[in-house]
This record gives sequence, structure tokens and C-alpha cells, in this order.
Amino acid sequence: MDKQNFKEKFAKFHDKNYKILLLIPLALLIFSVIYLTSFYMQHNDFFYKDISLTGGTTITINDENLNSLELKEFLSSKLGDFNLRQISDLMTKKQIAIIVEIKNSECNEAEIQQTKTILENYLKYSLIEGENSTVECTGSTFSKDFYKQLGVAILIAFFLMSIVVFLQFKSFIPSLAVIYSAVADILMALVVINIFKIPLSTAGIVAFLMLIGYSVDTDILLMNKVLKREGKSINQMIWGSFKTGITMTLTSIVAVLAALLIVSSFSSILFQIFLIMLLGLLFDIVNTWITNVSISKWYALSKEKKKNEN
Amino acid sequence: MKIKFTWKIWLWIAVFILALISIFITPTFLQKGVIIREISQNSSALEQGLKLGDVITNINGQEIKNVEDFLKAVQEKENTNEKVKTIITTKKAEYTIFSDQPLGISVSNLPTSNLKLGLDLAGGSRAFIEAEDHKLTKQEVDDLAQIIENRLNVFGVSDMKIIPVSDLFGNSRLSIEIAGATPSTIKNLISQQGKFEAKIGNETVFTGGKSDLSVTRMGSGVIVENAVQSSSGYFSKFYFPVTLSQTAAEKQAEITSKLEVNSTSEGNYLSKKLDLYLDDKLIDSLLISENLKGVVTTQIQISGSGSGATAEEAEEAAQNEMKNLQTILITGSLPFKLKVVKFDNISPTLGGGFVKYLFLAGGIALTLVAITVFFRYRNKSAIAPLIICTSEIIITLGVSSFMKWDLDLMAIAGILAAIGTGVDDQIVVLDEANQKGNSLSMKQKIKNAFTIVLGAYFTSVASLLPLVLVGGGLLKGFVLTTVTGITLGVLITRPAFADIVRLLQKENAS
Repeated sequence: MDKQNFKEKFAKFHDKNYKILLLIPLALLIFSVIYLTSFYMQHNDFFYKDISLTGGTTITINDENLNSLELKEFLSSKLGDFNLRQISDLMTKKQIAIIVEIKNSECNEAEIQQTKTILENYLKYSLIEGENSTVECTGSTFSKDFYKQLGVAILIAFFLMSIVVFLQFKSFIPSLAVIYSAVADILMALVVINIFKIPLSTAGIVAFLMLIGYSVDTDILLMNKVLKREGKSINQMIWGSFKTGITMTLTSIVAVLAALLIVSSFSSILFQIFLIMLLGLLFDIVNTWITNVSISKWYALSKEKKKNEN
Repeated sequence: MKIKFTWKIWLWIAVFILALISIFITPTFLQKGVIIREISQNSSALEQGLKLGDVITNINGQEIKNVEDFLKAVQEKENTNEKVKTIITTKKAEYTIFSDQPLGISVSNLPTSNLKLGLDLAGGSRAFIEAEDHKLTKQEVDDLAQIIENRLNVFGVSDMKIIPVSDLFGNSRLSIEIAGATPSTIKNLISQQGKFEAKIGNETVFTGGKSDLSVTRMGSGVIVENAVQSSSGYFSKFYFPVTLSQTAAEKQAEITSKLEVNSTSEGNYLSKKLDLYLDDKLIDSLLISENLKGVVTTQIQISGSGSGATAEEAEEAAQNEMKNLQTILITGSLPFKLKVVKFDNISPTLGGGFVKYLFLAGGIALTLVAITVFFRYRNKSAIAPLIICTSEIIITLGVSSFMKWDLDLMAIAGILAAIGTGVDDQIVVLDEANQKGNSLSMKQKIKNAFTIVLGAYFTSVASLLPLVLVGGGLLKGFVLTTVTGITLGVLITRPAFADIVRLLQKENAS
């Protein structure tokens, strides 16, 4: 009985305040847009990029005893924009290798040799590729090109996705709401990534595109239900789709969170993918169950009103 | 309980079985033995006719079931310094090897599945190359692929993939993937123009490539000298003979006939040396003995050197340099200068444990999903996502091994993405089917569910497809597996799942 009572009370509250509730996501959106704009002004880009997007050289030194702090200090006066990372065994947590990343360089054999010589001077032994070290490089010109292409692909992706959504609903506001939710999920997740200063990799950008798929299914569910009510009340339909949708989102969050914790120790690529999906899914709860519920309710009610007036 | 399966359920089961077959029925299914992965160039095993991919089942009467057996059988031989007889039985034939050298074969266990791990999981190198100051045409990239494949073959690399790729902006590049551990010389081999010239003074005597010369790669005259110490470490010289074509030899005679003879304490030599250039860089200068003056000789010796911090390194470097130079002399030069724009090199040691942990992550994630679903429905339908998702993973892997796609890290991320969508869709189907209090028929309910499922499906596909075009297919693995996964889901597992739900409901009702 209590449950029923709460449901009724909540429905009443929602009927009265659903337009005001929109202020919460609106505030989030405005903050995100302002934050990203100022970020862009500062960095001339929308996020920090890692070596897979800036280009550069990665030298992995398979040495269990190499002290990364000392090496860092040694290199700081000799190399430009560089970064050190440590790789450890999954089980024993013992160091396996140290990775030196040098950003913004071309795949130039002479340059790489120079860096290797600097490292060898510190190590006091020679780096032999395939034995005690590996060298990887991505030309920064190639990376810039790749980055631009990703940008173009994202634009095409949004364009195609918008077409598909419009074809499904054939009306403007519901379609826009579905697309908005995907965009908002992405923007808000990106803000968090930037606040934590996490440099994005290629995989990270792909994760943002994956987010589209996870974002739209709950919204499509909601819009479908509210638009094709078959005799039930709007609140009943919203409640029904909420129960389904939140189960969907929660299962995804649980799965992603578990995967995130497991991969965190051994794959920075997968870690980033899952982190972005987790953030996106959390924001999707807001953007679907506050924003889009209110929009769909507003839209359905005003359509009903028009119908009654006629 | 008697449930009559619909054709959709049968289709699902059939596809599932096909997927299992595609993954696990390997060409060596149920056989025992080890497969040859590498044979050294100058081993007697190679001379006797053993080939890459041969399956060894027996050595000297000992049955070989796995790598340990093989190592044990080989080790016993290698501890002696005398010539020993080794009888190797493969699936096809028996080989008798009589040598005091190590066998020079490395093997691995027979594959237990057809799944092909991508570079980032199995280890290997990948390079993207393009021309310097020149936009390659489609034809040029194809030609380039040919020459480089030839070079790598001559060098002794067999497990490789060379694919011309083009991207969103119309750039053509060559993608080269080499499995397993890769020596650094490979990087030179694929990016070197390989323009070889032998000059006396300013006159070119001969160049690399088949028209001017043929190379002796092993046997007499092929020498790597013991390393000697120099001011900056060690260095080691190498020599190998080449046979000049008649025209090239005559040209050399004509040029040398005009040279004077210098007398030195070490002997009498012609006044100019034979300078060897590789890509316009002088690699060595050879003194020409006085008795070659004006003589048409087709046998000459090419030399060069390698250096390193220790004697061993220097000798190894010399060995590699020699192999590199021989390869380039045989395969000739490329029509333009190349540059590597991306080079990835993943050590194979990372891979093994990695896959195990990924399965662990997947298993735990799925179990947690099942628990969440159980809390929501509080009945046995909670196992549905487990069964359906596992089948979806297997079906996707089946397609990927049938199509011979490489499973790289991004492809696995793609499979995970597809599974997530799969769970979501099943919840939609379950909720629609279980809807109470309206007059809709079951058929209508399922239809409603599919409107939502298909809507989300097409939206996802639309948002992923453009990625195929980016950067010459670096993300293709991801897109292919994701789209395959969700498409198979929508076409096969979802309809089957809907029918199962329908059947269960009917059973409950009766």
C-alpha cells in the first residue's frame, strides 16, 4: 500500500514540476558547454590527446630494476615533451618494463637513434630491439591526419544517426530529444574526462561513438512508449519504460564497472573505453529520465490539448 | 514439459553449432604433434625438405605430443658435439637429418582453435608506409606491395600481411603486418628504397637487381669476420660473392683498364676503389687488385660491416646487415623514397595472460548482469541473458574465425559493446512480453519490442559505419565485430529469444 501511495505522490509531484525539473539537466548542459568552450580557447582543442593522437615515439625498456623516478630526472633536461609509464605483472605487481613516450615527433630513424643513445647513456647497456626493448612510432603528420578523419567520421556518424532517428519517429521534437540525449551524454562525459586531465586515445574517441548506441536505446524505448500509448496514461507509460530502461542502464553499468576494475591493471586502452562508457551511462540516467521524460510528457500533453481543442 | 521449438529457435541452435565448428574444428583437429613455426635458413632440416607448417609427430621413435616433448627430444641431441642422426616423422613423410648443428627448428603446440589473435594480443609488428614527397596512386601501392612482399620473402619472413589501404582523404598507404617477434632490420627492409650502386670514381659499374647480378647467399665465400675492437665499440666485416652479368662485367673491365696501378706495402692495387653505395650512402670501398685491370670477370665480392657495443652484438649486426644487403641486391630498388609513418611493435609476451584476464572480466561482468536481472524479475529468466549472451559471443567469434578476421583489442571491445546491446534488447523483449493489463496479443507485444530493438539497432549501425573509413582501416576490426555482433543478435538470437519467451508464457498459461 505504501508503495502505491508513494507512486501516486510522486506522479503528482512530477505532473506539477516536470517542467521545472528540466532546469537540472539544463544547468549541467550550460556548465558543460561553457567549460568546453573555455577549454577550447585555452588548448585549441576539446580534450587532451595522448600519443596515439598526437604522434610520437614510444620506447619500451624491458628492465625490472630500472628506477623510473631517477630516469625521469635524468631525461628531463635532455628530452622535450616526454612521459614515463611503468608496466607491472598482473599478479605479482612486479615491474616488467618502463615506457618512455616522446610526443609530437615523426617516425624518423635518425631521431629515434638519438633518443636511444640518450637512454643508453643512462642505462649503460645498449638497447636491442626485440630483445630488451621495443620501439614504436607514429608520425605526427599521420596522427593529425588520423585525428581529422576521426572528426569527419564523427560528423558523418551523427548525420547518419540523425537520419535514422528521424525516419523512425517522423516528428521533429521526439527525434531531436533522442539525438540531444546522445549529444549531452557525450559532452558531459567529456567534461569529466577533461576535469580529471585524462588524455584521450583513439580508443577513447571510439568509446564516445559507442556511447551513442547505448544512449539511444533507452530514449527510443521511452519515445516509442509515450507516443504510442494504446489507451494507457502518460505516467503509466513513462513508469513502464522507466522500469525497463533503468534495468537496461543498470545492467550495463554493472557490467562496465566490473570490467573497468579488472582491466584497470593491464590495459590502459580498455580502461579508457570502459571509463568513458561508465560516465556516459551515468549521465544517460539524467538525460533520459529527467530531460527526455519531461520533454516527452510536455510534447504528448500539448498534442493532446491541441486534439481536444479541435 | 513438452516444448515445440519454432524454426527461429532451430536456426539459432544451428548457427550456434556452426559457430562452434568454425572456431574449434581446426585443420589439425584431434591430432597430436607440434607445428613448425620457424626454420633457420641454413639448417639441414630445411635442406632435407622440412617446411613451415609441417606437423611433427615423432622424433627418433619418441612420440611428440607437445612442445615439451619436442624440447626433450631435441635437447638430448644437442648435448653432444658429434654428428648425430635425427629421424623426424611428420604427418606426410619421414626425414633423416645427420648433423652436429642444432636442428634450427622452432615449434609450437597445434592450435586448439581457428581464432586468430591480432597484433596487439599475439605480438608482432605493423608498419604504415607511404612515399616521401609523392602521393602514391593505387597502382603504385599495389606494385610496392609486390616488391616488399618479395623482399620479406627473400629475407625469410613468412607470416605477414601486406595490404594496400586508403583512407577518408584519399591517401594510399601500405600496411604491413608481421606476426611474432620481429628483428629491427625489418623496419629498414620495408622502408628502404634500396638503390644499390657500385661505382669506380664517378662511373657506375653495376646496380642492384636481377639484370646486373646474382647473389650467393650461403656457402663458400660468405663470411662474417670475428669482431674487432675499435674506438667506439666493436665492428665486424662481412663478405659475400656476387656473379655479375656479362654486360656489367665488361663495363667493369672497360673502366678498370683505364686505371693506373699503385704499389703499396700490402700489394699492388688500382688507383681507384670500387665504392659501394646504398641509397646514396657509401657503405664500403673495395681495393681492386692489379691483376683485375681490364679483365672481364663476373665473380666479385661485396662487403660491408656491422657494429655494436660488444663483439657478439657487432657480429650479429654484421650478419643482419649482410642479409639485408643481399635481400636488396636480389629484389632491386623501389621507384621512390619511402617513409614509415607508423610503426607498432608489440611483444608477444603480453598476449597470453591478457586473453585469460579478458575472459575473466567478461565472465564476471555477465554474472553480475544476471544477478541484476534476477533482482528485477526474481525468477529464472535471469539466466536468459547468460545463455543468450554466451551464445552471441560464440557466434560472433565463429564468424570472425570463419572470415579469418584478427581479434585485436578493439575487436574485443566491439564484442563487449555488442553484448551490452544484446542484454538491453533482451530486457526490452522480456518487459514487453510480460506487460499486463492491456489487450494486446503476444504477437503484437513482441512486435512492439522489435520496433524498439530495430530502432536502436539501425541507429547504432549508422553511428559506427563511418569509422571503417578512418585511417586506412585501423578501426575496422572494431566496427566489423560490433556490427556483426549486433546484426547477428537482431537477426538470429533476438527472434529466437522472443520465441522462447512466447513458448514459456504459453506453458505458464496452460
